[in-house]
Amino acid sequence: MSSAAPATTEEAPALPWRSRVIGFIAIGEIGVIAALLLLVAFFYFMQPAFLSERNLRAILNVVSFVGIIAIGQTMLLVAGEFDLSVGSVAGLSAVVAAKLMTAAAWPVAFAIVGGVGVGALVGLVNGLIVVKLRIPAFIQTLGMLFIGQGLIQLVTDGYPVYPLPPEIGVIGTTNLAFGLGWSFAFFIVAAVLADFVLRRTVLGRNMYATGGNQEVARLVGINTSLYKIGAFVTVGALAAIAGMFVMADLGSGGTSIGSGWELTVIAGVVVGGVSLFGGAGTIAGGVVGILMLKVVQSGLVVIGVNSNWQQIAVGVIMVLAVGLDILRRRYFTVGAGARGGKKKPKSS
Amino acid sequence: MTDLADSDYVIEAKAITKSFAGVPALRGVDFRVRRGEVHALLGQNGAGKSTLVKILNGVHRAGSYGGTIMLSGQPVSFASPAEARASGVGYVPQEIEVLEQLSVAENVFAGHIGLGEGVIINRRRIEERTRAILDDLGLDLDPKAIVASLTSAQRHLVMIARALALKPRVLMLDEPTASLSGTEVDALFGVLRRLRAQGVTMIYITHRLPEVLAVCDSATVLRDGQVAAELTRAEFDEERFIFSMSGQRLQKLFPAHDAPLAARPVLVVENLSVAGRAGAIYGARDVSFSVAAGEIVGLAGLLGSGRSEILHGIYGREPAEGRILVDGEPIAIRSPRDARDAGIALLTEDRKRDGLLFNLPVSANITIGNLGPFASRGMVRGERERSAVRDAMRQLNVKAPSPQASVAHLSGGNQQKLLFARVLMRAPKVLLLDEPTKGVDAATRHEIYRLVVELADKGVALVIVASELDEVIGLCDRCLTIADGRVVDEFRRGEGGEDRVLRAVAAAQAESVRAAS
Ligand SMILES: Nc1ncnc2c1ncn2[C@@H]1O[C@H](COP(=O)(O)OP(=O)(O)OP(=O)(O)O)[C@@H](O)[C@H]1O
Ligand SMILES: [Mg+2]
Repeated sequence: MSSAAPATTEEAPALPWRSRVIGFIAIGEIGVIAALLLLVAFFYFMQPAFLSERNLRAILNVVSFVGIIAIGQTMLLVAGEFDLSVGSVAGLSAVVAAKLMTAAAWPVAFAIVGGVGVGALVGLVNGLIVVKLRIPAFIQTLGMLFIGQGLIQLVTDGYPVYPLPPEIGVIGTTNLAFGLGWSFAFFIVAAVLADFVLRRTVLGRNMYATGGNQEVARLVGINTSLYKIGAFVTVGALAAIAGMFVMADLGSGGTSIGSGWELTVIAGVVVGGVSLFGGAGTIAGGVVGILMLKVVQSGLVVIGVNSNWQQIAVGVIMVLAVGLDILRRRYFTVGAGARGGKKKPKSS
Repeated sequence: MTDLADSDYVIEAKAITKSFAGVPALRGVDFRVRRGEVHALLGQNGAGKSTLVKILNGVHRAGSYGGTIMLSGQPVSFASPAEARASGVGYVPQEIEVLEQLSVAENVFAGHIGLGEGVIINRRRIEERTRAILDDLGLDLDPKAIVASLTSAQRHLVMIARALALKPRVLMLDEPTASLSGTEVDALFGVLRRLRAQGVTMIYITHRLPEVLAVCDSATVLRDGQVAAELTRAEFDEERFIFSMSGQRLQKLFPAHDAPLAARPVLVVENLSVAGRAGAIYGARDVSFSVAAGEIVGLAGLLGSGRSEILHGIYGREPAEGRILVDGEPIAIRSPRDARDAGIALLTEDRKRDGLLFNLPVSANITIGNLGPFASRGMVRGERERSAVRDAMRQLNVKAPSPQASVAHLSGGNQQKLLFARVLMRAPKVLLLDEPTKGVDAATRHEIYRLVVELADKGVALVIVASELDEVIGLCDRCLTIADGRVVDEFRRGEGGEDRVLRAVAAAQAESVRAAS
């Protein structure tokens, strides 16, 4: 009963079964989940080693890093903005935290809080500039991507920060279950929490309203600036956390942590049905989308496809997924009418 | 082009059926329009009027509906509105669809490239032609103005100009006057009569029955997706229209309401000045008035006279100067949020732009901004929200397939009632209504009037902007006439009628002309 997600027509007992089936298919996540299962089955059929413990663990581990950021990115997209600087922020926070715990000799816990603070601060700057100065998010966060990369070099002089205190190694190597560690646990908890916030809380509902039509949201008394800035800060902090988990995993503050993630994250959540135009999508969808991208990448490796084809596959899947999503929406929510392809009315 | 003389009927649609996701909207409609007539298409909200004209001009493409369509005796099946346009069918949709960042002229000619304009846009030429069309419409608008700066009524006129630019043989107008006021309506009628004299056939959808009497030659009435009556001009009669639309006889149009005697003022506005939107001609200047508990105050005036701006200023939507007091307390209103906290609610004029959230279902559209009572510790309580939504929908008689349905598919009138439900959910002390009956059918209009009076009886202070003067006169206890953003006249119920408003506006205009020269 995701009353916040658009176009759900569940829980209407009076409707005949046909409408119920239609309603079920119209639920955002069903399409991606089905596609994911099909892909898994396909790769398993091609090469049973795909579902080996080792490979599964590898996929889930990678997904946990990018997935943490995808949670924030989904929230931000729902609120009607997006952030291209997440990869840089992840890297920057990681090296800052690494420097704090080595060169500055801070206690590990403080250094980690410092790293998260850097991410949140960058998010705050992004948010303030986008909301208050009305610089488009695309420009502001693209700029921040470069700024972040520059800062990483400044902080590290281009050398990985190494060695890190032993506590970091413990965080990186703890095996909670099935060979998965703290990053995966954090990812799952954060995803469940964020999904709940968007689906069930007033805050979540107000985010959908803000992303759907900012002026309408303002007129009903929602502080849209606050919501947008808050979402930027959340993405920044989550990117920082992801960056530090990678650092723990690697055992060093590498300068290339996070590079290229921004596009993976956006491609993934878009595959999962999160709208680039704001106001539509769920955390569950976004997370499943990321999982699907990673399954494809890994699956192609496992069945022995040339690595160049992986990139191509990711691109094709993203466009395909969005295309199918648009078709599905048009068919199931507009009844094959012509309104589906309509341009979004401009807000503000 | 086919020979027009083949057939008496320019449009003959037979046995048209159309369903949306299994729910029928049209059930075997036969619809015929004679050449050169203005044919009214009437019916209550959701009767299927818009759906029928969308089928006739290709918005719902061939194959998505059942039945046959003949244009001038030739069967046609349009795959898109562009194809219909190319066959000389013009269409003004019910909801405003403009390109905000382009100029008026560019909007008027958008999509017409390739229809005799060549590939390269000749700015000067389209501006000249736009000027001519606007003059025809009696409209004082700059073709170079950016559409984003226009009011919604002006945008609607731009869309009408856009349809006229093609010189269509058949013109379909879906509630063209819903956001226009007296003089603009008269100018539009002038154009329609002229087009009729040139042999253009028109389909005219409206909820304002006097307009049908004024300009239409025949009428088809739809009810629940079927033809309920076909009437010729000789059979025209408001009672009869209403009876065939609703199957019921209508009581008195405006419910009785007596202004409360010497009630305390709830809303006091002192020296309010509001800047107009960028590029617009008027804001509001130095407006003062007060509204008592249980009083209904109307703001009358022409399009663009500053009526909406006054409401926006009070509601904190646009920056304003001046003092606003609610229940005697001066309050600083810097944003709509402040206004809401003070107990003020606003129903906006343009549903699509400033009202509905198309990404959320009906229920969330009603409760958005009002979630407090249905939440505990920040969580929305599903059952409580659902039951409140059901109550609100029942109370205002909102017809939707389900509370989970998308708002995009509700008929215009039901969208309006949904927004009413939203503003009423907070039980406001002061209610600002901008065109509350825009695009609403006669029966619903009556419901809304009753609701307004009921709210007043409960002690709510109401301010209403309405372009139909008889609405202001009939419904309101007191009427303020606005011209050039100022109050130029004020009178109580019984002290004057529409002519008094028009005289005051004319006098104000004459004065500003004198002042300018
Ligand atoms: N694209 C759509 N998808 C689903 N249902 C639709 C769609 N368009 C219209 N409907 C439904 O079809 C019915 C007829 O709607 P239509 O818009 O034609 O009514 P109308 O007579 O123009 O009403 P109004 O006077 O309020 O504009 C309504 O019940 C409406 O909810
Ligand atoms: Mg309609």
